[in-house]
Amino acid sequence: MDSIIIRDALQYAGILIEGCLLVYMTRSAQRRRHAGVGLYLFCLLAAGQVRALILRGYGWSSPQYSYVYWTTDFLLVVASFLLVCYFFQRVCEHQEKMWRFVRVLLGLIFVLVVGVSALSFLGNYALLSNRYIAEFNQNLYFTCLVLNTMLYFMLQHLESTDEQLGLLVCGVGIQFAGPAASMALYHLTTGESFARSLVSFTVPICTLGMLLVWAYAIVRVSESAVKVTRRRTGEPALVEVTAD
Amino acid sequence: MIAAVVILILSTALFFFYFQVTCQKILGRQFDREYFQSIANANRLEFPSLRKSLEEFGAPVDYSRLRMMLRCDFLALTYLLKNAANVNQRYTNDERLLILYFRWQFVSLGLRRLLRLGENAAILRLTAVLQYFANVVGQRVNAVKFGNLTAADYLLNL
Repeated sequence: MDSIIIRDALQYAGILIEGCLLVYMTRSAQRRRHAGVGLYLFCLLAAGQVRALILRGYGWSSPQYSYVYWTTDFLLVVASFLLVCYFFQRVCEHQEKMWRFVRVLLGLIFVLVVGVSALSFLGNYALLSNRYIAEFNQNLYFTCLVLNTMLYFMLQHLESTDEQLGLLVCGVGIQFAGPAASMALYHLTTGESFARSLVSFTVPICTLGMLLVWAYAIVRVSESAVKVTRRRTGEPALVEVTAD
Repeated sequence: MIAAVVILILSTALFFFYFQVTCQKILGRQFDREYFQSIANANRLEFPSLRKSLEEFGAPVDYSRLRMMLRCDFLALTYLLKNAANVNQRYTNDERLLILYFRWQFVSLGLRRLLRLGENAAILRLTAVLQYFANVVGQRVNAVKFGNLTAADYLLNL
């Protein structure tokens, strides 16, 4: 009972932060710069609302809820892949040649993932169960995690000074790594109750972690960047500092 | 089976990697000036001298004293973070994350000591967190003016 309350509290906290961040981003001057992040947040929020609606209408154990849950989960993983592509595009903003190469590479990876998943799906069509879908999601999550890590090292290699992008990428890394690890454990323990409860906690905790890191990156890092810029250009600072 | 084991190991490692990188990025925040020294002086914190001795001589003081110093500094700074010139009287999310990071590094320090892996890197990371906390406290105290009191006077009267 307590674990259900904690899990629900984590999910509601996540929804609250998603909503607040979305409102903040649409009102801020940086909305174009963070269009991809905003779109992903909207997908997260919409998927949560659709799930809640179906859960209220049909119940936890209904096939309708199961279908909607796994469909939205699949769509979210695709959205995650597109988010990683968007980050790659931001990294290659001023390097057209590199972006052309990365674009082709990302396309190939996507085709490869779709191909492998389709083969796996056809081979396991009769055995389609929660366990199979968990493995399928685990693989997709892991692909995004690997791509995100490549992106992080690319940022390091290019010596990017975009602190905000670095933090956004780290947030995505936390979001992918936690669920991928817990899903792998779930698969290894053949769905034991411990692993099941671990998955149910890890996913909202990691989503919450990502949202908090994003909130810090979007709200705090941009604020401090404004302060530094004002100081460099000689404009009055937001906070005047006195010597002690 | 093997793929799941590989994914489990790599994902767990990457989770901790991203957690650490996120904390390092927060710690890398630029302050308009170094506030930590005045805060350390006012509260007799020992982490700046510990850091200096580690950077200059490469070897810290004895281990049990080192742990005690870090722990005392951590307790003092977290108290100040919450209570010194903080209207909300609570930690921000990034401070909470760094408190968690400090605790994790503190455990890792003990493990490194036990396994004889060399604890200097962990000590430097711990002092970096303390320095960040002291900078935040200093910045807050300086942002709020308390009559003619300096940051050091204010903290001594707290």
